[in-house]
Amino acid sequence: MNLEPVPQLLVFGVFVGALYGVAAVGLALVFGVMRVLNVAHGELLMIGGYASFWLFTLWRVDPFVSLLATAPILFVMGLALNGGLFSHVVRLDEETKIKNSLLIGFGLALILQNLAIQLWTADERSVTAAYSGLGLQLFGIVFPYTRLGGLAAALLGIFALHVFLQRTYVGKSIRATAEDWEAAELAGVSVRSVYLITFALGSALAGVAGTLVSVGFTIAPSIGLTWTIKALVVVVLAGLGNVFGVFAAGVLLGVAEALSVLAIGPAYREVVGLALFLVVLLLRPQGLFGAR
Amino acid sequence: MLRPLLLLLGLAVAALVPFMTQRTDALNLLFLLLLYITLGQSWNIVGGFVGQTNLGHAAFFGTGALVARGLWTSGVAFPLAFLAGGVAAAAAGIVVGLPTFRLRGAYFAIGTLAVGEGLRITIGNVFPLITTLPVALIATYDLSARYYLALGLAVATTLAAYLLLRSRVSLGMLAIREDEEAAQATGVNPLRHKLAALIISSFFAGLAGSTFAFHQVGYYPSAPFSPIWTFDALLVTFIGGAGSLAGPILGAAFYTVIREVLAVNLVQVHQVIFGTLFIIVVLALPGGLVDAWARVERRFRPAGRR
Amino acid sequence: MRDGPILEVDGVDAHYGDLQALWGVSLRVDQGEVVALIGPNGAGKTTLLRAVAGLHHPSAGDIKLRGQRVETFPAHRIVTAGVVLVPEGRRLFGGMTVLENLEMGAFSHRARAERFETLRSALEIFPVLAERASQRAATLSGGQQQMLAVGRALMGLPELLLLDEPSLGLAPLVVENIFGVLREINERGVAVLLVEQNARMALELATRAYVLEQGRVVLHGSATELLEDERVQEAYLGYRGVAGVHL
Repeated sequence: MNLEPVPQLLVFGVFVGALYGVAAVGLALVFGVMRVLNVAHGELLMIGGYASFWLFTLWRVDPFVSLLATAPILFVMGLALNGGLFSHVVRLDEETKIKNSLLIGFGLALILQNLAIQLWTADERSVTAAYSGLGLQLFGIVFPYTRLGGLAAALLGIFALHVFLQRTYVGKSIRATAEDWEAAELAGVSVRSVYLITFALGSALAGVAGTLVSVGFTIAPSIGLTWTIKALVVVVLAGLGNVFGVFAAGVLLGVAEALSVLAIGPAYREVVGLALFLVVLLLRPQGLFGAR
Repeated sequence: MLRPLLLLLGLAVAALVPFMTQRTDALNLLFLLLLYITLGQSWNIVGGFVGQTNLGHAAFFGTGALVARGLWTSGVAFPLAFLAGGVAAAAAGIVVGLPTFRLRGAYFAIGTLAVGEGLRITIGNVFPLITTLPVALIATYDLSARYYLALGLAVATTLAAYLLLRSRVSLGMLAIREDEEAAQATGVNPLRHKLAALIISSFFAGLAGSTFAFHQVGYYPSAPFSPIWTFDALLVTFIGGAGSLAGPILGAAFYTVIREVLAVNLVQVHQVIFGTLFIIVVLALPGGLVDAWARVERRFRPAGRR
Repeated sequence: MRDGPILEVDGVDAHYGDLQALWGVSLRVDQGEVVALIGPNGAGKTTLLRAVAGLHHPSAGDIKLRGQRVETFPAHRIVTAGVVLVPEGRRLFGGMTVLENLEMGAFSHRARAERFETLRSALEIFPVLAERASQRAATLSGGQQQMLAVGRALMGLPELLLLDEPSLGLAPLVVENIFGVLREINERGVAVLLVEQNARMALELATRAYVLEQGRVVLHGSATELLEDERVQEAYLGYRGVAGVHL
């Protein structure tokens, strides 16, 4: 029982926020490097969630373990989607590129959502592991194991991404391309390859987020767009900068939503994100942690 | 000379349909077709004329439906409720447009997408129950009236788009679509033009929502906020040809006919097909049917007339 | 050393949409040479360099590197083939450190293996970069940025270095420094194709030169010839005070 609703809510806000962060990071990466807004990102997350769910339901694979499988699966999917679809718009001028990628993403989102309904029905799914109901109890606050695992996995993922981008040659080539793609080409970087890897990486991150969502949240064909919006709001809140900024913005959103439930009740939760989004756009369009 | 005559003929035929058939399924199909035309034309004003991608058109559609339905079922005369829906949607347009239009095109798209979904979920939370027409209104339900309303609205929206295209304002809008910075350099105020377009667009989308509220006996209040409606508006416009007047009409006709021809009972498969079609159009045939037709025309024109 | 031309541009046309920028341009750079390309603004000099570098494909004509046709190669392949462009305006990776910028220069396979060696020599040539190795590139001064840009290009182990307006926006002392470095680089065997507003300095460094006007080569010859040519003097060397920045 909740003796202290505020701290408990805050803690849950952080847990959810961490997921928002992971969900957003893939989108931010793709947008930062390719200037492409993949509005089907949430659908990729959804597919990651289904992958985790089926791996668990059919073969009892623990969702945190199945990350090792869902990430590569979504990575490959990202390769295919980029190669087959988004690579065709990437070479256009920025305005047309953004517009067309939005449209394509929108169409793709509907395709994937409806395929999911066809394949797996519209039923809501979730992974209930053996430890799903259990957790730590500290200072009267409950820390469910599933949520803790999610937070840990999220932090690990973000950190791994950061190290990849900062320390590896490929990662640096991605950052260089994000700064100035022509200059990157002139330095010998195949920008086409960078785009391919980046999109695949973004998709893999969506898959990771989806797997984490499947543990204790719902997976259903309809969640795609909801998560896309969440990710978009976080990306706008964070601005273009580094990976940690996006993660922090995610946590911020989670906490803000949690607090709003106290103030105006659960029905208007979504409005909080929206309001924050519009306000940040009005007052600080480069985002809270934006570099530009 | 031929075109306006054909148009009038078409309108006359359309006006006479309820006299030719009283079949509910036919009238409902045509109602939907007309609604799509309105949704497409209204989307086209911002998406086609000004070139700003609105991914939350359903938000305006839904707002119109919500307000109109709410007022109408509370006893307000429908004509008033109808207009109120449009006005409410226009107000929503301002709320969304002001912060998002100042920035690059992507922000407007994201903003509208976010607002659309946010509203859908919130309305679903706040009004989770089906709204059903009170018995009195069901008793007097006349499908032909709904049909004529949809027809009138489709005509009005097309007319508005037509007048807009012929006005001076449209020059600014088209300039913004082609190159916003260049347009700004020539003295065009992008924010004002975009907002103007959005207000008109959302107003008519709202009226479409009111029409929807008028037509449906029972539905979930969050249903008209579904992104499917946005997608249909986009699909219809792009297939027909964004930026042109005939585009949404052609696209709506094409869409409705093909959908019926497919006669697929599973909603999902036809969505997948149309999603794929949409992507193909965006990638390969950005001008839609209108452009394809123009290209065919050019091929067969006598040599020397390019 | 002199084995024939390292770069041959033959009858190249270039368009921006419907706008033609280059008309049948031909030029040649031999191994180990310094060739200058001068001309007024908008003449197409940058377009030509970008075409050679693979950023802009010609609509007609061909570009050969050591006899191999490369006009359809993407830019990163041109780098692997030994030609590196230092673009106009430096185009550094501002958010990355000096060291990371240099590292990126050696990204191509050919250069990657030797990058530690190359880094050492680059830092020898530009000691100021060594001092600021972990600073973000955007925080450097204009001259330092230009040095970093050249250093980054050198990391790609070029046999031909293309430079687009290296003196733009720089103080005269800095420009002298840079040109001194270019001479040094050339003495180490790297051929140079140099586009420069500062025609005098370019012609003093170069062995041969071309004058490009309105997308066409209107004059070419040895640098000394051009320095003494009246038309060049009038238009680009500032005699009678017409055009060109001069010291």
